[in-house]
Amino acid sequence: MESIRKEIGKGLSISSTYTDKFKSNYLGVYIIRPLDRSEVTMNSLLPMVLERGTKNHPGTLELKRKLEDLFGSNLNISASRRGERQVIKFSIEWADGRYTGEKGLDREILQMFKEVIFEPHLEGDSFSGKYVEQEKNNLITRINNKINDKRSYSINRCIEEMCRGERFSIYPGGYVEDVDQIDGKVLYDHYRKVLQTSQIEMVYTGHDNHFNMEDIIPAELRERKVVTFVPRETIIEKSQNRNQVREKMPVTQGKLVLGYRAGIPYEDKLYNGLLLGNEIFGGGPNSILFRNVREKHSLAYYVRSNIIKHKSIVLLDAGIEFQNYQKTVDLINQGLQDMLNGNFSDEDMEIAKKSVRTSSESIIDSPQLMSEFIFGKIIANDDRSLEEMIRQLEEVTREDIILAMGKVNLDTIYFMDGLNREVQDESN
Amino acid sequence: MKVIRNENLREEIYHQELDNGINLFYFPKKGFTKKYAIFTTNYGSTVNIFVPLGEREPVELPEGIAHFLEHKLFEEPDVDLFQKFSSQGAYVNAYTNFNQTSYLFYSTDNFYENLDLLVRFVQSPFLTDENVEKEKGIIAQEIQMYQDNPKWVVFFNTLKAMYHRHPVRTDIAGTVESIYRITKEDLETSYRTFYNPGNMVLFVVGDLDKDEVLKTVEKAGKEYPTTSDVVERIVQDEPDEILLKSIEERMMTSKPLFHIGVKDTELGQSGREAVKKDITTNIILDMLFTNSSEFYNELYSEGLVDSTFGAYFTGKKTYGHSLIAGQSDKPQEVYNRIMEMFGDPARYLTKEAFLRIKKKEIGGFLTGFNSIEFIANNLTDLYFQDFLLIDYLDVLNEIKFEDIINRFKSHFNEDRSVISIIWPEMESDNN
Repeated sequence: MESIRKEIGKGLSISSTYTDKFKSNYLGVYIIRPLDRSEVTMNSLLPMVLERGTKNHPGTLELKRKLEDLFGSNLNISASRRGERQVIKFSIEWADGRYTGEKGLDREILQMFKEVIFEPHLEGDSFSGKYVEQEKNNLITRINNKINDKRSYSINRCIEEMCRGERFSIYPGGYVEDVDQIDGKVLYDHYRKVLQTSQIEMVYTGHDNHFNMEDIIPAELRERKVVTFVPRETIIEKSQNRNQVREKMPVTQGKLVLGYRAGIPYEDKLYNGLLLGNEIFGGGPNSILFRNVREKHSLAYYVRSNIIKHKSIVLLDAGIEFQNYQKTVDLINQGLQDMLNGNFSDEDMEIAKKSVRTSSESIIDSPQLMSEFIFGKIIANDDRSLEEMIRQLEEVTREDIILAMGKVNLDTIYFMDGLNREVQDESN
Repeated sequence: MKVIRNENLREEIYHQELDNGINLFYFPKKGFTKKYAIFTTNYGSTVNIFVPLGEREPVELPEGIAHFLEHKLFEEPDVDLFQKFSSQGAYVNAYTNFNQTSYLFYSTDNFYENLDLLVRFVQSPFLTDENVEKEKGIIAQEIQMYQDNPKWVVFFNTLKAMYHRHPVRTDIAGTVESIYRITKEDLETSYRTFYNPGNMVLFVVGDLDKDEVLKTVEKAGKEYPTTSDVVERIVQDEPDEILLKSIEERMMTSKPLFHIGVKDTELGQSGREAVKKDITTNIILDMLFTNSSEFYNELYSEGLVDSTFGAYFTGKKTYGHSLIAGQSDKPQEVYNRIMEMFGDPARYLTKEAFLRIKKKEIGGFLTGFNSIEFIANNLTDLYFQDFLLIDYLDVLNEIKFEDIINRFKSHFNEDRSVISIIWPEMESDNN
């Protein structure tokens, strides 16, 4: 399947992949903003307010009912962190007319989608004050909810501590204390600025219904003169902090997160060595950590390491008994040392390559994954094909992996500890 | 292999019962890179008391045994299965729920080698006292991970309030205490009883050669002694009434979480009838509780619920319940409003809403067919209810507005409703 990217205005492109493999069609519109404290909270609030209504469907009821009538077309609006960007994403997926028996709904669906993005429900030159106030409360709840999922909370806390002073430490869901100053006017002014000045990428995957997707973009956006592109992130090579952060909470399981700096930009050829090295170290059920920490020592149910591509950070996390903190950290350190000493087999390398290949190849079985993949390549300025990426991974050598893992250095350890527990490890 | 086609969906499925008794289904998905196989036994956490195959007296095993066995089947004397699958480019996993234990993998190549490995490893347990002991620490961490998850706790507390005895009220993985009681012998008894071909099904989905699929499974399939014994599962009598009206707990969460459960009493169906009940009830819940409903919007604009509010029905032959879930500073008031609405639903249960939700369900189902996981997992789940997924759309189309009204009257009822609440443990600064 080949994707073709076409520029239709300054900082405005559409990438299309035509295929009959799926029973539905999928269109994503990505708006790229810098991850910045001054707007992160507004950007997080925008999807919630935009979902409340459009010019012709001024309330949630009208909007959602219309979507249901169109065979449950699935509209999603989100704001999320991509490196040091905050991406506001609109997407719509709808069952193709060849299966629902009602052809020709595409135009109506896209019209609806266009309204959601470009013709929101307004009161004068402001979003509805009532909607904004309600969604401000909902946003506060959502931000406070981050504590409910202890695993992702711990990961975010580690990032916060580790990347203090870098944009990446900004919590992508927004800040409670910044909610208050937002009102319907402030938010709409911001949204207008976002539309007028941001890079916008559209990605379509589905049946070729001979419909010009770009028709949903208003003429004035196609004639923009000035667009601000978000610059590439800076990468820090050496660890800054050597932090150890311990927080006590009323939990039964300890959450351990280790943050490492790898300092290898994804544009660097050595990045593939890091990708595979991480896979062997803690990437999956065949990794050194899974085998040692879980299978051999029964210390954890999950233990896994992930790379944050845009920042070249490796984050490793595990859920453990409180008193096994030191034992687990020692095993993890030993595991990294093993990597540096080349204590991994050729088979481990082959397995890591196959694993990355399988997950890469599966991308083309899902319209959403394809859309994310194509968008990911655009923001990384990467014009390689999937096949090319896989081929380059196949070429990675043992030396590449050792060299890459040698650059991985520990920066911050975060531990969510239990309440009322003496800090005394290895009592057993 | 026998072929079953559905013209509306433009899909087909092949079936064959092998000589050793395994039921094999192959669902072709042309043009897909990923290939998926899922091998399942009709044995989940709700089967704790049964008469072991070849014996006469029922036994009761510690809670969490089916899930424990799932972990242990990955152990082999001389190969590391994770490594073996990975070296053949496959991602392997397994899961246990209330009713089934499934072993699955997907790969983009070496599919037949992986399929062979899957069928073989599930049929060859390797249990020793040492490896059973070793697993306890890992499973204990898995259980504790769930214990810290307020959404999981609020859900299980709802089941504990609704059911007196039915094992659906106990945690799938058991408790730290119960799993430490599990022995090698317990696992052997449960394996012998439930991991035999008559109790198992294998679904394969992807762009494959059906003869090659058949040949591979035939070759890997073990011989089993022919037995006419049917496994006897003991289900204790569960009254129609709920056990507790409400159940509350404190945990670390930002806002109170709630689940409202409505216990089903129309049980015992299978096949089309069961699926029809399932879809009908879920359409009702959508009509009442999704963001396109009047009722949802009333509660939402009063700030009583937020976008996490929603509902679904789930059920099998011996149990069933609707669950309405969300978060709210005033969960009891949400409960009261729902009960009030149950008494007078006419404003919300309209024909217009019904037709709209039905259309949405059709679109959602069709979109699901983009995912081979969706296909294989739903095929499996419905198979044990004697139903083939590809006929789903036909049942959906058959449902009439009267079905909605009748089911509403018989199922939604305050007497059989419970509420489970998790209150925040620490005073949060915004209330």
